[in-house]
Amino acid sequence: MPQSMPGVPALLTAAVKYLEDELLPTLTGYHRFRTRVTINVLNTIRRELEIREPQSAAERARLRALLGHDGDSETLSAELSERIRQGAIDLNDGNLRAHLRQSLADALAINNPKWPGR
Amino acid sequence: MSTDDFSARLEAALARHIGQPAKVHDLQRLTGGANRTTMSFDADVAGQRRRLIIQLGMETDDPVAGMLPEISNEQQARLMIAAQRVGAPAPRVVAILQPADGLGEGYITERIAGETLGSRIVRDERFAPARRVMAQQCGEILAAIHRIDLAEVPFLKRQDAAEHVAAHRRLVDYYGFVLPALDLALRWAAENEPRNQRHTVVHGDFRSGNLIVGEEGIRCVLDWELAQSGDPMQDLGWLCIRTWRFGGLEPVGGFGSREDLFAAYERASGDLVDPGHVRFWEAFGNVKWSVDCLRLGMRGIDEVDIERSAIGRRIEEPLWDFFNLIESRE
Repeated sequence: MPQSMPGVPALLTAAVKYLEDELLPTLTGYHRFRTRVTINVLNTIRRELEIREPQSAAERARLRALLGHDGDSETLSAELSERIRQGAIDLNDGNLRAHLRQSLADALAINNPKWPGR
Repeated sequence: MSTDDFSARLEAALARHIGQPAKVHDLQRLTGGANRTTMSFDADVAGQRRRLIIQLGMETDDPVAGMLPEISNEQQARLMIAAQRVGAPAPRVVAILQPADGLGEGYITERIAGETLGSRIVRDERFAPARRVMAQQCGEILAAIHRIDLAEVPFLKRQDAAEHVAAHRRLVDYYGFVLPALDLALRWAAENEPRNQRHTVVHGDFRSGNLIVGEEGIRCVLDWELAQSGDPMQDLGWLCIRTWRFGGLEPVGGFGSREDLFAAYERASGDLVDPGHVRFWEAFGNVKWSVDCLRLGMRGIDEVDIERSAIGRRIEEPLWDFFNLIESRE
């Protein structure tokens, strides 16, 4: 498929700019709140498009090191979940904790970048 | 039901319960209280204007309803009456609706003026005097709630820490959701359940956002639908999780210190507070909120609702805080 212009991030940025700078100041109460939420969601989509892919590659490498074999991220994550639930991995394991922290930090960088620093 | 029809039934119900004719004005649906229908209205009764709230309906379409304790409107009303009797500032119940009222299951209470938005309470200058006393008031109010006689509210389901952890594990399994950090948090909770859990009435959702606040402090405690019987320290821990600080810096609801909360609770209840015990419930409160985010996010998908969908994307926030807590970075 040919790349249409403008690309998705630019479209999202323009949509957010309109909602935030022009629409939001005219609203109060219920619609102001819901529009604010909508702006946040559009910003989340933009960040996910921009940074999720490089995060995924690094996550898969960490999972591979933790579990000792390769696979796609989703399968490896499900296996890690199962090991944690079964008690097959020490909850205080430093590498495990570091991996979980990094995965949470990655997700927050998309969903709410302000959270970890506050 | 049309608004006129609803108003007519409401007037008939008021007349039946109060014993005098009532004229309803300014009926409006309130935003917030996402779980049920809450409406505010005024009623002229015997030459006096009464400011009232009507609470109607339950969420019955949630596939996981019943997996966590939730009490009916009638039970909430009975609990609020019991809370009033021990001096806790619950809404004053005017009527518990009956089938003859034709309005469904619900209740009518007096309406208290004040602010409920956590972000305003922690930030606005006019609440500065309130912020100075609120942690202490929370301790005193919780001590009162925890001394309600369980025999008066036999409908409360017993939920100790083990049951809470198991119920949340079941919820995550129900959705088949894979998030290793959440699995670790649930296992940590199962392995660190506090000993010496007492058994009292537990409000279950005592936090900023569910308190009506005036410039002088807390006026009223709302949202009793998650009440249960269990470990009273649960209420103290839940009140402290960062989500309910709404950007405020102080650990208790963004407005006060744990020391003030605990000291006031000890004075009012005569029971010692073990900070480690509360810390478990704060850590678990974060787990609970993260599962709530999952649940609300899944509902957001079903309902195609932007607000709930957005909450689904908040699932990592409390897990981040959970790790900070158990690794003592706070």
